[in-house]
Amino acid sequence: MSVFTIEAGLALLGLFLLLLDAFAPGVSRRTLGILSMAGVGLALVLLVTVAGGEEALPAFVKPFQQLDALAMFYKGFALVITLLVLWLVLECAPYMTRFTLEGRVGEMLSLPLFVCVGMMWMAGAKDLVTVFVALELVTVSFYVLVGYTRKSAMALEAGVKYLILGAISTGVLVFGIAWVYGATGSLEFEGIRQAAAAEGTNRTILLFGAAFLLAGLGFKVAAAPFQMWVPDVYQGASMPVAAFLSVGSKAAGFAVLSRVVAALAGEGSAVRGEVLAALIAAGSVTVLVGSLPAIFQTSVKRLLGYSSISHAGFLLLALGCQGAGRFGLDANGVVAFYLATYLPMTVLGFLALAVLRRNGRGEELEDFRGLGRRSPMLALVVTLAFASLAGLPLTVGFLGKMLVVLTLVDQGQWVALAFAILAAAVGFYYYFRVILAMYSSDEGVPEAAPVRVSLAARVVGVGLAVAVVLLGVYPRPLQPMLREASQAENSAVSAPSGH
Amino acid sequence: MTTLNHYLFVSAALFSLGLAGVVIRRNILIIYMCLEMMLSAANLALVAFSRFHVTEGLPDYAAQSLVFFTITVAAAEVAVGLAIIVALFRARQSVDVESITRLKG
Repeated sequence: MSVFTIEAGLALLGLFLLLLDAFAPGVSRRTLGILSMAGVGLALVLLVTVAGGEEALPAFVKPFQQLDALAMFYKGFALVITLLVLWLVLECAPYMTRFTLEGRVGEMLSLPLFVCVGMMWMAGAKDLVTVFVALELVTVSFYVLVGYTRKSAMALEAGVKYLILGAISTGVLVFGIAWVYGATGSLEFEGIRQAAAAEGTNRTILLFGAAFLLAGLGFKVAAAPFQMWVPDVYQGASMPVAAFLSVGSKAAGFAVLSRVVAALAGEGSAVRGEVLAALIAAGSVTVLVGSLPAIFQTSVKRLLGYSSISHAGFLLLALGCQGAGRFGLDANGVVAFYLATYLPMTVLGFLALAVLRRNGRGEELEDFRGLGRRSPMLALVVTLAFASLAGLPLTVGFLGKMLVVLTLVDQGQWVALAFAILAAAVGFYYYFRVILAMYSSDEGVPEAAPVRVSLAARVVGVGLAVAVVLLGVYPRPLQPMLREASQAENSAVSAPSGH
Repeated sequence: MTTLNHYLFVSAALFSLGLAGVVIRRNILIIYMCLEMMLSAANLALVAFSRFHVTEGLPDYAAQSLVFFTITVAAAEVAVGLAIIVALFRARQSVDVESITRLKG
């Protein structure tokens, strides 16, 4: 069975569920959700166990898809986060249906499948046409998802903002692709890499195109100065969609960025210096514009939005260190590792907010007051998530940040390093404000009913928390997967040595 | 004789006009039209580059195939986008950007 069959199957399942929801009114959302989750779960199992490699792909797919380890990693990543998001939709459905038309959530259970297929297709893309089509499949599905809870004024507003800014980024991206094509005469990554290193390529045109291309992708991953939509959209969107945007959309964006940077800034490329400098500069600014406003946030959901910007900054810094590496991971391996650490802690943060919402609480810092006394288990899990987001040692978040800092040291990027450390220090302040709120005295807070957590939420929450700690202490299971990814990714990047 | 530079100049002008419109105009529908103009500018650049990138006496059609995808994707984007804008209009009786300023902090 080829990977393409799995992707096509998922897309067909998405279409089937969409039709089922529209024309079979008797089907409950539970059935839809279970079908959808079963499909994604089955796809994940098949991908890990029996899916063939590149040689198993049908002939008509081979020109467009490659299945190196990096592609496989991001494909698996897309399936995992989609599974979690689908479950989160079912978990949030009891309160979310108040804000949707006629109390429906059917589309929220089928559209994530299309997003997932888009992310998987993008991860293995060999050329910019495939990237563009897959990216738009993801983006257009997200337009619908963000505005889906449209009876909430804020969700509608977030939907419009995401729509306009997403459409701008699409325009900028295609314009960039056009000029990169003009300079290199190729839309394939391999062709672009060769042309960028060849004599006689017009450097100015290539730089012009690269600037637009990177700006367009910068929108998608929330890089400064294109990050302003993030807090608004996260705050307005429903909890599962915010989590999906934060983890899935970001991972997809960085999967593409890894390929684009490898093509534009390959060994001997005429624009290597400029592209890497731009990434480092954008990363340095992004960590700060994510961290500094976060200090003043009272809404925890908005705080997670700023946190997502700050993490995007760290990822950009890692990506800008092409040629550096630690522990057998090159720059793209570090990015993939960071994303793997980012998934459990961020989902856990949004899960905690979803649990509070289900109990009729809000998303403000105030709503966390007194949780430590009334719901110690929930408070402990939330503490782990936010400590890991801050980068406390013995959590996965620490390993990701440490890896980025070490590669910056290796490259001698001292200014960027200063920015990163400052942002991490500020991060400790605002993440621990949430933790302090839970354990500080809750005098004056009206006594509320204890927070009820469903059994499924307990299992998933504890599972993610265990992952946060276990991988923080013993990250070895992640390493072979990513080390392989690093080596397969780009032979032009020499393997790091001596560490 | 129109050269590549003529096409690129028109494309750049269209793109700048579109971007300026997005930044300056206050009506979301007009902003959306300006966005479509940016996409058209990119398409024009793609077609022009493709036409003038001749290999073995024929234009390189790779970039022109991307134009078809761009047009299709833009149509899908408009379908979803207008639906969202209509929903906004029903809720607010306005399609002015001033009507979407509640989210901040």
